[in-house]
Amino acid sequence: MLNDESGNPMDNLSRRRFMSVTMAVAGLAATGALVGCSRTESISTDPNLLTLWYWKRSISEKLLDSARRSITGTPRRLRTDLIGGDFDVKLRTSLAGRAYVPDITGLNSNVALYFPSEDQFVDMNELGAQEHKADYLPWKWQFGVTPTGRMCFWPMDTGPTAQFYRTDLFAAASLPRDPDEVAATTNTWPAWLDAGKKLKRNSGVSLLANASIVYSQIVNASAERYFSPAGRALFQDPGGTIRRAWDVAVAAAQAGITAKVLTPAEQNSAWVSGKVASNIEAVWWGPILKSTAPNSSGKWAVAHQPGAPGNSGGSFLAIPKSCKDPKAAFDFITWLTSPEAQIQTYEDVQLFPSAPKAFESPRLSSPDKFFGGQDVLGVFQESAKEVPITFISPYDSQVSEGVLKELTNVETQGKDPDRAWADAMNQGIRQLEKRGLMK
Amino acid sequence: MTTSPLTTRRPVSALKRYWPQYLAISPFYILFLVFGLFPIVFSLYISLHDWDGIGTMKWVGLAQFQYLLVDPRFWNAVSNTFIIWFMSTIPMLFFALVIAVLLHQNIRSKGFYRVAYFMPNVTSMVAMALVFGSVFSDTFGIVNSALKSLSLDTVPWLTSDWGIKTTIAVMVIWRFTGYNAIIYLAGLQAISSDVYDAAKMDGAGTARIFAQVTIPMLRPVILFTVITSTIGGLSLFTEPQVLLGNTGGPNESGMTIVLYQYNQAFTQFDFGYGSAIGWALFVIAALFAAINWWLVSERTGTKKWGRTK
Repeated sequence: MLNDESGNPMDNLSRRRFMSVTMAVAGLAATGALVGCSRTESISTDPNLLTLWYWKRSISEKLLDSARRSITGTPRRLRTDLIGGDFDVKLRTSLAGRAYVPDITGLNSNVALYFPSEDQFVDMNELGAQEHKADYLPWKWQFGVTPTGRMCFWPMDTGPTAQFYRTDLFAAASLPRDPDEVAATTNTWPAWLDAGKKLKRNSGVSLLANASIVYSQIVNASAERYFSPAGRALFQDPGGTIRRAWDVAVAAAQAGITAKVLTPAEQNSAWVSGKVASNIEAVWWGPILKSTAPNSSGKWAVAHQPGAPGNSGGSFLAIPKSCKDPKAAFDFITWLTSPEAQIQTYEDVQLFPSAPKAFESPRLSSPDKFFGGQDVLGVFQESAKEVPITFISPYDSQVSEGVLKELTNVETQGKDPDRAWADAMNQGIRQLEKRGLMK
Repeated sequence: MTTSPLTTRRPVSALKRYWPQYLAISPFYILFLVFGLFPIVFSLYISLHDWDGIGTMKWVGLAQFQYLLVDPRFWNAVSNTFIIWFMSTIPMLFFALVIAVLLHQNIRSKGFYRVAYFMPNVTSMVAMALVFGSVFSDTFGIVNSALKSLSLDTVPWLTSDWGIKTTIAVMVIWRFTGYNAIIYLAGLQAISSDVYDAAKMDGAGTARIFAQVTIPMLRPVILFTVITSTIGGLSLFTEPQVLLGNTGGPNESGMTIVLYQYNQAFTQFDFGYGSAIGWALFVIAALFAAINWWLVSERTGTKKWGRTK
């Protein structure tokens, strides 16, 4: 029959029937898709099933298992969609298309990028968020509040920062070994620079992988960043945070205490080889270090960083406005981030709590062999209480991109710092002007 | 209006008569309409707006294109793209031709070599970037270790302008030389051995045969590889992105046009400008397509495959 082109009426008939069946199926599918698009915003139609989008290792699977059976205190159940690849692009696509939006979604530390579209999310103040406010770290809470005062992004985990350092390399360069002494010796950024110079002079080891780290961590630890909550640009101020962080980073680069190691692969070599003796990063970097440089076990310790501690990373939960039962979604969110649940989360996926009550648990303070028996979580718990309240604007990255680029130019290509600063400011201003955010 | 059955081949009747055929070929056109044509037209529409991907679109007219014309970052990306393309394509095609000629000889385990040279083309880019990142690492890489052991100056491969471009070019060469060699090999196998025998009879040496028989007869194949590597070079993205991240490394030395487009659209969520960059790339690519078309039709249009002149 396949080769028959004779036009036999029987064949014609069956071919036509085949075609009409195909058409009918195609038509049905198209209709189904159209109905799906126009009527349902939420991703599932079952009224008792709430859908959660999250990414790998962002939530404890044990807790999710319980919610998949039933969300405590509600008749609803949870369906969990593990989103791979670029989470933000996928969520934005569904929000922009107003279709297949989850009922609850995780959001990463770039949550400020969603402030301009805050109307897409439920204000949890209307669901009783204020009753829970005291349970969470105030600065973490504030990250989730939009400039108009709506509480749209609920605290999940946090990333208080400190300095990780190699005790053996510090001792070999006649620097202190004990965490308290290290913290005291490097309590200010000038003192930290001196320690770095001593390390370089005495043993040829770099204090930090690159200058961008110190710049970013000073910004992360500051009460003011690139913009005020009212939208005023602060980044050009000669006495402002950005210039202060820039100056310390440039001083570090010019003193030669950074290793000029930029890519992640090179940084891994740096930790393994011991050519870089310390890093300033959040608590979540500990497990990464353990798996990168297992042979350096016992040689690391954690001390408070110069100046004040900051926060790097940490995620949030939000309820898109198309959620079919915001009350149940909110119940799930408060249950998932209660101090007890956050202890469980730490044990399962090593995410640091946003609810300080969890710190009281003995399960969050065991001596760590990798860090020479030090209770490193204790250091980060102290850090967490001192992180300042600060405002991240959706447009910080429009400016920070140019600043980091020019900082790397100073560090790796010896560019004149004054020219580099002027170029960084120009790039930021140009970018903001184009988007109509500055005149 | 006629009723004669002989004149029923008007368009409407043709549609009626051939609708099963049209239906049978329709899936491609429907998919193309949804996933090809619509995004193309929509990106042009977006390029006239300021849009962060969720909120309301703000009409800005040609402002994105005006900004593009004076944006030093865009022109830096254009020049990077062409420099890297130039640095990679010429050595790549040269090596591919040499490898193809060698594989065309009567050597042992030919099949193994063909597969081996093609392997880089199907290797995971992420794994490749990790390896290259380690090999060319300024402080820890084996290239610099080798230079040091030979008492030569080390090169900051991943932090200097030319170091970055060279590393990316080497990645491209490594990945696509085998692919082009296989294409050349196919071209070589299509050349009749009679031609070579005749050249040998006339007393031509190996070098002369290569220059005056092999190369001219391979011309259409060489042009094909030049066109495909131009397309590949203009849309260079994965190599710099996985090696250096979304900003193209120090001083944006590894920032290519497509990487800049990705950076603006998907890390800064400036979809209007990202689309404008996409259309600028389209104009540049169209220009090159025209040049290629001119080269092919003017210079070799009269020559047929396998015929010498």
